Amino acid sequence: MDRAKIYKNVKDINEEEFVLPGTPLCAGCGGLLALRLAYKVLGQKVVILNAAGCFTLLSTYPYTPFRSSWLYTAMACGPAGAQGIRDALDILIEKGSIPKEENLKVVVLTGDGSAYDIGLQSTSGAIHRNLDFYYICYDNEAFGNTGFQMASSSPYGSRTGTTQPSDAYPMATEQQKKDLFEIWRAHKPPYMATVSPAHPVDLSAKFKKASEYKGPKLFITLAPCPTGWGYGASRSNRIAKLAVECGIWPLKEAIEGKLKHTYIPKFKPVEEYLSLQGRYDHLFKPVRNDFTIKKIQKGIDRYWAPFLKLTSCKR
Amino acid sequence: MIRVRFHGRGGQGIKTASRILGTAAFLEGYYVQDAPLYGAERRGAPITAFDRISKEPVLERGIITNPDIIAIGDETLLNDAAANVFQGIRKGGIFFVNTHYEASHILERYCLPECKVIVHDVTDITINTVGKASVSATLAACICRITGTAGKEALINAIKKELKSIELKDETIDKNIEAAILCYDKMSEVPIETYRFNPVSGPKIIAVKHYLPPKGVAVIYAKGNTKKRKTGNWRLFKPCINYERCVRCGICFVSCPDGCISLDTDNYPVIEYANCKGCLICYEECSAKAIETKREVRTW
Ligand code: SF4
Ligand code: SF4
Ligand code: SF4
Repeated sequence: MDRAKIYKNVKDINEEEFVLPGTPLCAGCGGLLALRLAYKVLGQKVVILNAAGCFTLLSTYPYTPFRSSWLYTAMACGPAGAQGIRDALDILIEKGSIPKEENLKVVVLTGDGSAYDIGLQSTSGAIHRNLDFYYICYDNEAFGNTGFQMASSSPYGSRTGTTQPSDAYPMATEQQKKDLFEIWRAHKPPYMATVSPAHPVDLSAKFKKASEYKGPKLFITLAPCPTGWGYGASRSNRIAKLAVECGIWPLKEAIEGKLKHTYIPKFKPVEEYLSLQGRYDHLFKPVRNDFTIKKIQKGIDRYWAPFLKLTSCKR
Repeated sequence: MIRVRFHGRGGQGIKTASRILGTAAFLEGYYVQDAPLYGAERRGAPITAFDRISKEPVLERGIITNPDIIAIGDETLLNDAAANVFQGIRKGGIFFVNTHYEASHILERYCLPECKVIVHDVTDITINTVGKASVSATLAACICRITGTAGKEALINAIKKELKSIELKDETIDKNIEAAILCYDKMSEVPIETYRFNPVSGPKIIAVKHYLPPKGVAVIYAKGNTKKRKTGNWRLFKPCINYERCVRCGICFVSCPDGCISLDTDNYPVIEYANCKGCLICYEECSAKAIETKREVRTW
């Protein structure tokens, strides 16, 4: 278990590892870092239900990086599987077949393809039933496992496998990223938060806080993806930090639906974030697409405006 | 018909190498078929690609189990049983390896049958000329020359076409051509004894028994055994900690996606090289500049 009572700095982070090295995921996978950090708070007594996606490859027969249990489900039914496991554990404990100490935290692990679309209804159902589980979505903003096709998590202006820039669509992806956080928040679950692998202290504190609540505890983590986003693997954390500092990836939490930002960014121009990634190359070359860049910036400004008034933080 | 099988790691350009070889031969008037094969794994995982090149229409289909040429893009795959690079290796066949070792070393170490081993450090040339380690054009150039299936002009046109289609910039394509020609000129044509199939008589049908799910589903009982996969083989550059500069901030420890950095009793970071994939996030994140990188010469 994590020893830290509160997370104030990097030194508080648990040294014990629960996701071991040697996985088949890409070098520099930001989602994997987030999972590794989250596990350090969750501890050993965990059972993961992994909806199909990049992370299903973590346990590729005959290897597994986990020291605890892991099950594979189809894309649509991670939370339904979690309900089954939760019920089974409850029944076994009630019957005395397993001691209380062997109770496990039930955790759904899913990519954005499943969380934003294919598995959304079963997630909504599980939140509605107030199922006691964790839900971690690693959001690399497209279907990363199958060739980086567009998903409803793909941001406006980004290039994906199925949205290439063209004369008709110079911005590549025309649609806006779906706001999954707000969809979840409408259910008013006990705890939910966004996290980033490059903010390990914030991430740990949120998982710690979540453990105090019974019911659904939902997380979306930004998952910088060198393969799909088109940048050198070493830049994952730098890009994750820029996403937060530019305000495009707000770090926030909501308790019983009440929203709070856990970090007020420095609001760097979003260009700094975009220009490091191949998936936004078409906005800068061969000619600069000012219209799209400005529209992305405006989207961020519009998002933050009401909160900055509330927190009386100046831009 | 010449059958070529490429082996490499995802992200190395193996699929594109087979495309370039195929397109170059096609431009020279051959009938060509090329196809990649990869499992559900990511960058760094072993992948295979096939080319069939013939003066007659190619009617054969499927994976190539009896290649005339095996082209290895990453030498560490020789040590990876799962990659199965030796499948169908035979006397008289050609075994090309991208390595800095001598051919004799490979022959001895892997007790290969009397095949012709050809070696060339393609990665080195590519890094020096292009600045990246994607060996698609350079590896294809070596095989073009060895098989004699395409001249320089066809090769250059094939590289342009294939690298354009994966959206590389013109300057990068030009550098790839430069590196490819360097490789092309270093190689020479080798006569190939192509494989002849013995026709199989009649189909053989095997009935698969039905098992109930508890038996029929893959179950792993081990606790955390991925360390055995030795993903350290993926590295091109190695992060090395300079302990005199290290201020023990622990940032590298919380930044390694693969959990390859631990802290010793004095809170100094220690890197586990057997599995470090060489993403170099630790190098980039260390603000004390205590992590250096070294181009790695493999020690398999
Ligand atoms: S494709 Fe992206 S999200 Fe998937 S394993 Fe690779 S880096 Fe991670
Ligand atoms: S980030 Fe650099 S200074 Fe900090 S512990 Fe690691 S090597 Fe030492
Ligand atoms: S290079 Fe990447 S995998 Fe290796 S120790 Fe550094 S962060 Fe970890």
